[in-house]
Formats: sequence, structure tokens, C-alpha cells
Amino acid sequence: MPAALDWLQFVLAPQMINGLSIGVAVVLMALGLTIIFGLLDVINMAHGEFYAVGAYVAVALLTAGLNFWWALVLTPLLLAVLGYATERGLIQRVFHSKDRHTLTLLLTFGVAIVMEDVLKIVFGANPLRIEAPIAGATEMVGLFFPNYRLFVMVVGSLLIAAVWLLVFRTSIGAMVRAAAFDRHMSASLGVPVSTVYATTFAFGVALAGLAGVMLAPIYSVFPTMGRDFVLIAFSVVIIGGMGSIKGAVLAGLLLTQVQSISSLFISPVWSDPLLFGIMVLVLMWRPQGLFGKLGQA
Amino acid sequence: MGALASSTTTAPAHGPGGAHGRTRDAARLLALLFFVLALGFAGTAFALGDVFFLRLATEALIFGGLALSVDLLLGRTGLLPLGQALFFGLGAYVAALTLKHGGGSFWLAMAAATAVSALAGLAGGLIAIRSKGVYFALISFGLAQVVSKVVYNTRELGASDGIIGVPQPTVLPGVGAADPLGFFLVVLVFVAAVYATLAYLGGTPFGRQLDAIRTNEHRVAFLGFDPWRYKLTAFVAAACIAGASGALYPMLRGFVSPELMFFQVSGNAVINVIVGGTGTLIGPLYGSALLTGLKSVVGSYTAHHHIVIGTLFVVVVILMPRGLIGYATPALQRWLDRRGGAR
Repeated sequence: MPAALDWLQFVLAPQMINGLSIGVAVVLMALGLTIIFGLLDVINMAHGEFYAVGAYVAVALLTAGLNFWWALVLTPLLLAVLGYATERGLIQRVFHSKDRHTLTLLLTFGVAIVMEDVLKIVFGANPLRIEAPIAGATEMVGLFFPNYRLFVMVVGSLLIAAVWLLVFRTSIGAMVRAAAFDRHMSASLGVPVSTVYATTFAFGVALAGLAGVMLAPIYSVFPTMGRDFVLIAFSVVIIGGMGSIKGAVLAGLLLTQVQSISSLFISPVWSDPLLFGIMVLVLMWRPQGLFGKLGQA
Repeated sequence: MGALASSTTTAPAHGPGGAHGRTRDAARLLALLFFVLALGFAGTAFALGDVFFLRLATEALIFGGLALSVDLLLGRTGLLPLGQALFFGLGAYVAALTLKHGGGSFWLAMAAATAVSALAGLAGGLIAIRSKGVYFALISFGLAQVVSKVVYNTRELGASDGIIGVPQPTVLPGVGAADPLGFFLVVLVFVAAVYATLAYLGGTPFGRQLDAIRTNEHRVAFLGFDPWRYKLTAFVAAACIAGASGALYPMLRGFVSPELMFFQVSGNAVINVIVGGTGTLIGPLYGSALLTGLKSVVGSYTAHHHIVIGTLFVVVVILMPRGLIGYATPALQRWLDRRGGAR
């Protein structure tokens, strides 16, 4: 069976590794979405645009003469400020309304429209490219993998682990989970709930921005880049269970693997319908997704 | 007492806008005003020999039909559709293909578009109606995104170019889509018919069921009704309305493109509904007219009109979530009452 082994080694393995490097970025994106939903009950329709803004901020910082590593550190910080301002200035205003779900969804949708047009005005509609900061490729098991993709995989995995530790093993994370579980009780116990809300939103937005910077050297950067990408992130969050961190990680890695392996057999055009079909099947079986909410995790 | 409290707390903040009962006169007056203004506009434009604005207004009415379908779901049933452009685009494609290859009859194109949209609505509804609240919104968004991407990449449907050179059909002897005034009136009659049907349905037991589902779905089941069936019916009806509205688009512009199914179109329909007034039915038509006009005015200064529309939308959602007509109706009613009382 040498042909089959060759296929595994030279066709399937590289595809899976590539899928994994996209996968960690999708997971970062989905983590932001799911944490925001788990705590604030807000569907952030602007998440894809925050991802795009992250990529563009990196482009701007590089143009200003900073190197990629500075961009990698500064972009999430800048995005966190933007997210904090969005929560405090806009979302907070409709947060106590009776149908918060719909209103915040519509609100972030409006924000998304504005942000996309701002990107078009500032940077133009044409796709931009940034150089991969790590050149070259590494040979493993007779195959060459671009070093930058390996870097994305390693750093992305570390970040995912860090998010998990932050939420489940620190006192800040305990406050966030407490606020998600019962906001009135948490408030009466001294948790600064409204600050926790704004900070969590900022954190989720920073994760989207981080995914944007990390993928910018792999994909090209254009104003509507967030829209396709956010669809995968939404599917991941829905399958994993809205608000579930474990669900976002597992579903994110699984879906991106399905996507990259299926592209060996079917045209990439059909990979979105395939992912969507999986999502519908999972929802038929478990309408609430695979895992529970943030407060219960 | 507890039951009473729960039924009031679950009512949406921007509910039906009081289109029934105490504010009925004002709502009727505002609806009448819209169609009178439309006729007045048509007369003025015809007298001045204008074509551009008449065509633009026709487009506003077509997107008004799409907004009506969104209002049926959002304002009446409490389902937020983020992918209604799917059925609009589907209707447009079916109509374009029928007109181009199927003899070019207006009525055949409309019938085919509506029938295909109904089937697609049934299929999409079976998938989307299973889920509630935000899940429904996201799944309708995903459905449209997936289908539009497939259409965008299907060469048989013209891929990203769409279908061009769609012949403009004759509606009635002497009235064709090529005639700006005639076609404006055709679309106006279509939109008025959709509006009248939906307004009538609102008062029937079916409409009451939808209101009940929006207000508190769980209790509808306890009363012995199956919410699922009513929601699916509303979804299919909305798909038909969106599809029939979409069918008018290629007759007006002579082409269809996959952009008609894109999120921009779905999003604009939701914006029209929210800005005009959710659940008021006439509000979405006002919203569509207002925003199409605004886009045209802003568009003559800059290509970036989304910034203006998006900002307006954010402001409306935060400051006046019931929309223009949602606030105008009670105000007008108060004025009418005062005048009636003084007499």
C-alpha cells in the first residue's frame, strides 16, 4: 500500500496542518464571540469587522515603520480600547431593554456597516498584503511547512490555553463566570458587574483583532474579509454551544479540519454548504449545541 | 399575578407599535398618506418628464415589498430574519430566467418566482424554524450566505456577473415594464395589495396567533395551538412576498446579480423595517422610501453612503427603537383625539 501511505503523507498531512493553523485562528475568533455571548447575551455581529480592523491596524502599524512583533502586541491592545468604547458608548445604552438580544444584535450590525465603510475610506477597497515576518520552511517527515504557519499554530494554541486559564483559574475569570451565572447576586457580592461587562467585551474584540493580525500574512487584507470568516466562527459557536469555551475549541478545530480535508475532494465553493449542513444536523440533534453556557461550565 | 407579570415583561419593547385598537385611525391615516404621496409623486414626475426618480422610486417600492416580508416575521411573529435577501434574489433569478427563456410573460414570471420562493421558504423554514431567537437570526443569515456563495460560483447562472439583458415584459395591454410611469403604478399596486393582505391578516385569528407567538411562545402551546405550524406558515408567506418583490427587480433594471442575495440586501431590509417602525407594516414602506432617497442624495456626494445609513441606524436603535411610524402613530392619534374632543 505505498500509494495510500504516500497519499497520507504528502496530501492529507499537509492539508491537516494547514487546516490546524487556520483552526487556531478560528478558535480565537470563536472564543471572543462565545465569551461575549456567554456573559453579556450579546450576539456581536460586528465581530468579523473587528477581525478586519485588527488586520488593518497591523497594516497601518507596519506602514508606520514598526515591525510585525510590535503589531502583534499593539493591535489587540488598540482593539480592546475600541471594544471597551463600543460597549460603554453603545451597547450599554440598550443593555437593560427588554429585548436585549435583538437590539444588541441590530446595534452591532449597524456598527459593522459603519466600520466596513470606514475601512474602505481609510485604506481603499483593494486587497493589501503583508509579508510573513518569518520566512522559510521547516522540513518535517519529508514535508516542508511554512515557518509562519507553524508559528501561528504554536502561538495560537498557547493563547487558547491562556484564555482557558484566565477564565477558569484566575479570580478575574471567576468574576466573569459569576456575573454570567447570576448578575444580581454577583453585584450584591461586590463584583463590579458593568466594568466586567465592558472589559469582557473588550477582551472578546481583542481576540478577534488578534486573529486578524495573525492571519493577515496568510490571507490578503480587504474591507469585507470579516464577513466570510465570521460565518465559520458563528457556526463554531452554534455547534459548540453559545457561551461554551470547551465547545468553541473543539468545534473550531473540528470544523476547520472538515473544511481543509473536504477541499481535497470537493470544490471549495461547496465547503461552506458542507459546514452549514453539519451545523444544521448538530442543531437537529442538540438544539442548544454540544456544551453548556459559560456560567455553568 | 405571576402569569400576568410574565406576559407583560416578555412583550418586545418595539412591539406592534399599537397598530390596532386605540391608534387604528392614525395608522390608517398614515397608510393612506403613503399611497397618496406615492401617487402625487408619480403625477409630478410624469408631468416633469422625469425618468430617473420614477425608476428610483419604483426600486424603493420593490425593496419596500422585501421590507414588508421582514416585518411579517420580525414585527408580527418575533423572528429576526437576517437572510431575507435569499428569497428576494431567488425570485429575481427565477423571473429573469423565465423572462429570458420562457416566453417573457409577466404573469408567468411572477407565478414561477412566487412558486419557487414558496418551495425554498418551506425548505428553509424547516431548517430555520426549529431554532429560536438569536439562533434563528444566525441560521437565516447562514442560509442566505451559503446559497449566495453557490450562486456566485455557478457558471450556468452567470456566476459573479449575474444574468444581463432580461427583456422587459408587458404587464397589461399598453402597460409594460419599459414604461417608467406604468411600471411604477404596477409596483405600487403590488405593494398596496401585499400591504392590504398583511393588514387584513393581522386582524384574523391567524394574525392573533402570530402576535401570541411573538409575545409568549410557550403559552401558545399550553392553549392547544402548535406554534411551529404558524411560524412555518408565516415564514413561507414571507418568502413568497420577498420572492415576488424580487421578481419585479429584473423587470425594472434588466439584470440580476448575486449581490441581490448578499447580506447587504438582507441588512438593508431590516434597517428599513427598524427605521420605519417594526410591526407597523406601513413603517417599512416609509423606511424604504426614506432610506432609498437618502442613499441617492448622499450617494451624489460620496460613494460611502453606508457610513451615513449605518450611523442613522445605530442612532434609531438606541434612541427610538420603535421607529418613525411607531412614534408618529400615537402622536397623530393624540392629535386626532384632541381635535375630536374639542368638537
